[in-house]
Amino acid sequence: MRKIKILTALLSVILLASCDDFLDVKPSDSSAAESSITNAADAKVAINGLMRKMTSSDYYGRNFMLYADAKGGDFAIRSQGRGLDALYTFNHSASSNSYSGFWSQIYNCILQSNNLLLNIEKIEADGKGSAALSDYKGQALTARALMYFDLVRLYGKPYNMDKESFGVPLILEPLDASAQPTRSSVKEVYAQIMKDLTDAEPLLSKTIVNGYLNYYSNTALQAKVNLYMENYTEALAAAEDVISSNKYVLYSNTDWVKSWSTQFGKESIIELAIYPSEADLLTASLGYYLLRQGKKTGAMGWFMASDYYMARLGEDANDVRWGIMDYDESSTTRFGSCLKYCGVDLLGDKSSPSAVNIKVLRLSEIYLIAAEAALKLTTPDKAKAILYLNSIRKRSPNLAPATEGTITLDMVTDERSKELYAEGQRFFDMMRLNKTITFNDEFISPAVTIAHRQKTIDRTFYKTRLPIATAEIDANPAIATQQNPEY
Amino acid sequence: MMKPILIVLMLLLVNVSIAQVRVTGKVTSSDDGSPIPGVAIQIKGAGGHGASTDAKGEYALANVPADAVLSFSFIGFKKQEIPVDGKTVINVNLVTEELGIDEVIVIAYGKTTKGTNTGAVSVIKNDALKNEPNISFENAMSGKVAGLQITTLSGQAGSTSSIRLRGIGSMNASNEPLYVIDGVPVISGNVSQLGINTSNNVMSTINPNDIESISVLKDAAASSLYGSRAANGVILITTKKGKQGAPVVSFKSSVSMTPTFATDNYEVASTEDQVKMYYENFWNATVYSGGTSASASTSALAQLNKRFNKHGYTFTAPDNTVNSLTIGGDRAGTYYDWEKVLFRTAVNQTYDFSVSGATDKSSYYTSLSYTDEKGRSVINDFKRITGRINFAQKVSDYVDFETNINITNSEKAGFNDSRSTGNNYFLQQRNLLWGLYWPTDYKTGEPWTARYGSYAYNPLYYDKEWENSSKTLRLSASETVAVKILPELNLRSIFSYDKSQIQDHLYYSPAHFQGSSVNGSVTESGTSISKLVSSTTMNYNKEFAGKHNVGALVGWEVEENKSEYQRSSGTNLPTSTLHTVSTAGKLDASAYYWGNTMVSMLSRAEYNYNNTYYISGSFRRDGASKLGPKSRWGNFWSVAGSWRIDKEKFMKELEIISSLKLRASYGVNGTLPSNNYGWRSLTSYSNKYMELPGGGVSTIADENLSWETSYTSNIALEFGLLKQRITGSVEVFDRKSKDLLQDVPISLVTGFGSTLKNVGEINNRGIELELYGDILKKKDFVWSAGITASHIKSTVSELYGGKNIIWYDPTGGDSRAKFIYTEGESTLALYGLEWAGVDNETGKNIWYLNNDKTPDLTVNGRPATFKYSSASEVILGDIHPKLFGGLNTDFSWKGLSLSLNFTYKIGGYTYDAAGKDVNDDGYYWERIISQDAYDNRWTPENKDALYPMRIALDYEDVNQKSSRHMHKADYLRLKSTTLGYNLPEYLVNKIGLDKARVYFNGANLFTKAAYTVYDPEVNEYGTRGWELPLGKTYTFGIEVNL
Repeated sequence: MRKIKILTALLSVILLASCDDFLDVKPSDSSAAESSITNAADAKVAINGLMRKMTSSDYYGRNFMLYADAKGGDFAIRSQGRGLDALYTFNHSASSNSYSGFWSQIYNCILQSNNLLLNIEKIEADGKGSAALSDYKGQALTARALMYFDLVRLYGKPYNMDKESFGVPLILEPLDASAQPTRSSVKEVYAQIMKDLTDAEPLLSKTIVNGYLNYYSNTALQAKVNLYMENYTEALAAAEDVISSNKYVLYSNTDWVKSWSTQFGKESIIELAIYPSEADLLTASLGYYLLRQGKKTGAMGWFMASDYYMARLGEDANDVRWGIMDYDESSTTRFGSCLKYCGVDLLGDKSSPSAVNIKVLRLSEIYLIAAEAALKLTTPDKAKAILYLNSIRKRSPNLAPATEGTITLDMVTDERSKELYAEGQRFFDMMRLNKTITFNDEFISPAVTIAHRQKTIDRTFYKTRLPIATAEIDANPAIATQQNPEY
Repeated sequence: MMKPILIVLMLLLVNVSIAQVRVTGKVTSSDDGSPIPGVAIQIKGAGGHGASTDAKGEYALANVPADAVLSFSFIGFKKQEIPVDGKTVINVNLVTEELGIDEVIVIAYGKTTKGTNTGAVSVIKNDALKNEPNISFENAMSGKVAGLQITTLSGQAGSTSSIRLRGIGSMNASNEPLYVIDGVPVISGNVSQLGINTSNNVMSTINPNDIESISVLKDAAASSLYGSRAANGVILITTKKGKQGAPVVSFKSSVSMTPTFATDNYEVASTEDQVKMYYENFWNATVYSGGTSASASTSALAQLNKRFNKHGYTFTAPDNTVNSLTIGGDRAGTYYDWEKVLFRTAVNQTYDFSVSGATDKSSYYTSLSYTDEKGRSVINDFKRITGRINFAQKVSDYVDFETNINITNSEKAGFNDSRSTGNNYFLQQRNLLWGLYWPTDYKTGEPWTARYGSYAYNPLYYDKEWENSSKTLRLSASETVAVKILPELNLRSIFSYDKSQIQDHLYYSPAHFQGSSVNGSVTESGTSISKLVSSTTMNYNKEFAGKHNVGALVGWEVEENKSEYQRSSGTNLPTSTLHTVSTAGKLDASAYYWGNTMVSMLSRAEYNYNNTYYISGSFRRDGASKLGPKSRWGNFWSVAGSWRIDKEKFMKELEIISSLKLRASYGVNGTLPSNNYGWRSLTSYSNKYMELPGGGVSTIADENLSWETSYTSNIALEFGLLKQRITGSVEVFDRKSKDLLQDVPISLVTGFGSTLKNVGEINNRGIELELYGDILKKKDFVWSAGITASHIKSTVSELYGGKNIIWYDPTGGDSRAKFIYTEGESTLALYGLEWAGVDNETGKNIWYLNNDKTPDLTVNGRPATFKYSSASEVILGDIHPKLFGGLNTDFSWKGLSLSLNFTYKIGGYTYDAAGKDVNDDGYYWERIISQDAYDNRWTPENKDALYPMRIALDYEDVNQKSSRHMHKADYLRLKSTTLGYNLPEYLVNKIGLDKARVYFNGANLFTKAAYTVYDPEVNEYGTRGWELPLGKTYTFGIEVNL
């Protein structure tokens, strides 16, 4: 008995001594969150992760790019039920088709920015800051500004409609799991966007690094945000800062179509990379969503150009931008299928029809922002407006260039639609400019009745804002009373 | 040397005084008169002097005092004591003991007898398992243990079952019991990483024929020695051992056929009716939005012609109504029968061979078994080979070794059981594939490769363009050494290694829609799951003064679980004939590992006075890697007592009561989170960007995450009447589970949808009844019956902070049913809109408002609305049944036997997750609908309809969760019926066999259900979706012993 007792005691001692190590089992594919960013190399990995998350199908990878054209009247659908058609039919409620993926994905990206910013500040507070680190800080701030700009446009009223109304919750540092954030006003969100952009501006490098954000990404964004805020002087100045830098060059008419088969084009101020086996959505990619049904196996012919867009581009049968259009399933003469995200040869920019980069902000848009801002100055600068508009308008060789006598705001708006079709702009332009949107429902064949909206809507229609999803309201009762009206 | 000499001397001494005789005889079984080998015969009080019967059941015992008493004992039979009284031939007929009070049962870290056990243990003996032609043993337990609910998710061969013992004790962590085979916790559950929603049940690597008995440990007293893994109960499986006597060579073979499903499952309306409905859908949409019948008909016909012209059909309706709708075209009059080509009569063949035997020093049991099943679905196959060696050797009087080795190789090919339009053939046949679609193009005769409507594909063509398989090689070996240190002190040490190597293969050709965009793809993934357990226990048992029995057990246990995963995949395949990664143009790979560890100390003490009053207690301390350093150690314990009332003097008068025992227990168990790293906040690196590593915060964790602990009290009365002719038990239990873990939905603004937290408490209380009896017992004829019944009330008793939690059935990953945890309500409380039926005049859906908004109308005196979006969600009903269990009855007459096993459920609801597909109001207009939806829809002629008018305007929105899809769950099912015949021995012996038996077994032959649109045997969340339903199976088997 004695021996056994000793043995047992001995065993227990050995056991307990080695327990702590034995019981510390760490994962093999993740690291501890609190210690994962301690230097510039780690910050770079975090920036990579952030850029990649922005290419999610719920964000720039697909849905955000489709959103504005599907809702803005430039897209039409041939049949209901193929997928994402609720964007077009406005069949939204808090509990179904709420497209809460925008909300959750963008806030996840914002968390990554906030986490990176917090850690960079910690490193800097330890006196270990560096130029590289502050550049990453600038990138994280610029990315955060872009994300809040997108969120507030999805969920809030236009800035010039009611800036005191609800925007989105403004979160600037990582939150605790128990947080129940509420919405800030549209005005507060825009103020933060401008603050992030101006804070970031001096930190950023002016060198172009493909696939990442730099100084010009920041100023181009400032131009765009100021346009939305109706700060035309600032918008014009920022746009001209980009244009005059000569870092970016407009595509010539002969290069324009080819540019959609080239990654990191000369116009790209923000371009997100989509590589095969990374964010490649294959047959569910943005490119496939715009292909004619059956053009490739898996292409369902989701979104085609509306008659209204076709008429606009049809002002000039020789417009170079017809070069990216392909006929659709309705007829071999109706060129309603857009190949911007597959390339005309369906080989994209990396020999793949689906792993194709997303051009988020490019020089043509900056020219059109400059044109619009110049035209809207308290004292309009028509000469500048003409200069910038015609630089793009010349892509329709048969149309007369704008002149002091002919230039109108509508010409700029139409040019935006022609040039930036399928690039996530139209709906937001219509909202910002307080215009009506008419949908080409007749394209649906055989005809069906759209029950969820009228044929023509404007920004007073409640569904021009997305609902806060039931999942958010269930988990965050504090926001329940801040639901967008009528949902 | 001294010992034998002493014995001889003693015997000599005894010899002097008393006359001695030599006794011989034969021991037979009262069942069938067959000889019993290996029966232990002892001379009472003669200190181990005895013998055992040989293969023919015969024995010879020399030097027996003429006044001695011989005791005959053998496991499974009642012990008999016979005075010698000078006789020289004593033949004994041993009576079998069915669940007798002295029956040996397996419990945690040991064995005991039913009479002395203080915990709640239900035992299923091999007899109950042997006739069930199941691939896995789980089904054989159905209805046989009170409190045990077994649900099979899918009718696919080789898929996983889910077991719930005494309700739901956890929200997020596992609700599955712990499986322990021959004393060792083992790997269980689904092990496939295929990612196509088909499961590979690792427990199907156990050959049911190798199982001797299954003990189900239900209360804390029985299970708390397993500590942190035991809160959901423990299933102890004991495999067969060789029995003393001549070697037993046994061969079994069976063939099963499953020609049909067990019940109706969303039977589809005829093709003509589907066409009518399609027309009606669009016709209604135009007419009810103010159009004329002519324009309505034009629109509806245009829809039909657009979809079906290409398949060789045309449509006309001269009078602009459905009455004149006719189907014309080249293929008019013929429709394609998809059911016929996608399903077949399933065939299962099983061959089982075993050899076993034992001497007094060693015993062995070896088996080899082969199963091949071709499932109901034409692409579902399952194959398995298992081999087992159980070997035990006594190396000295003090040391025993035991080795158990099991090797299994199984292979499964299956399909996606979830709501996947492209890959689930059951969903396709019942909901997508019109009789108007054909696998060939009617113009060219070529295979139809384009998508049909609603994303269905031609399965006949695409079947050949993909393949999947999940192969499992499982090896488990355990070595036990038992040392008898003192007669009353034993040491037992087990070391076991359980390893499952799963190899998944998934291939899509360039022609397949899943592989087309990457020019074909192939993925090989290997998962290796290993479990190392080392446990050592020391057991002390002693009787003092003939009345005080003391037992004590102490021990420790270490467990290490590790899984390693490797995937290699390739795209851009050179040729459709080669399906290997090495031929691919583009390669991709991944590999990582995960795991957890646990260290435990355990102890148990038992005392009984005169085998009448029993008390016991246990204590276990577990440390687990799944929790953070601050909370990783947990203490679990139990106390129990029992009283053998039948041993009391006052009970001797009551002859009717042959046994009576009262027992009670209280104890604490724990449950660990299922996530290995749930307490750690992590950064993951799954976000590569431009071929550079990309990282991001991936979880917000609570580092103080702690154990879920459950506090169970149990009171039971076990009884036997009329010399154990009727036996039974009544148990009452109450299980409070605290600090439950849940992925709590959090504000998405945090960046995440949920976080794992200890959030609340659940209470399960219930009553269980088990009753068995011989209704008739004549010489040749026995009729016995048994019933199990359980009532469980499972409620959420507290949510910390009082905040409700909305959650969804995780099955299939499409949020198919919505539930709410709210204080005082059921743990399976369905949540959604309350449907008020259909408006007779307009055929529209009506919803109870359940809020203060202005109603459109009132229904049954309650405010209601036509707009679902105006109504508020409420608790709709409870999934838990009021009563569930089984009924078993057996008849035997001479060699014939018939047994019937029923399972039943009374009360509760099921949720029809496929209802939105087969019975929608017009949203999924390209889909086909059920006969039920067709028959019960609103039309101007049928205004009293159950379902609304079908109209392509989609008034309901199919994605709403509502009481419209909730149905009564009651059913009675003849789960299994067996008719067997033991061939007469004289015939069998003539052809050189020892025993021969033929049998027929039928599974799911009869079902009576309250709701008959789908199979009422639903998953553990009470929901029915697109998983393959169970079939009606007919099995013919033969079993011979050489």
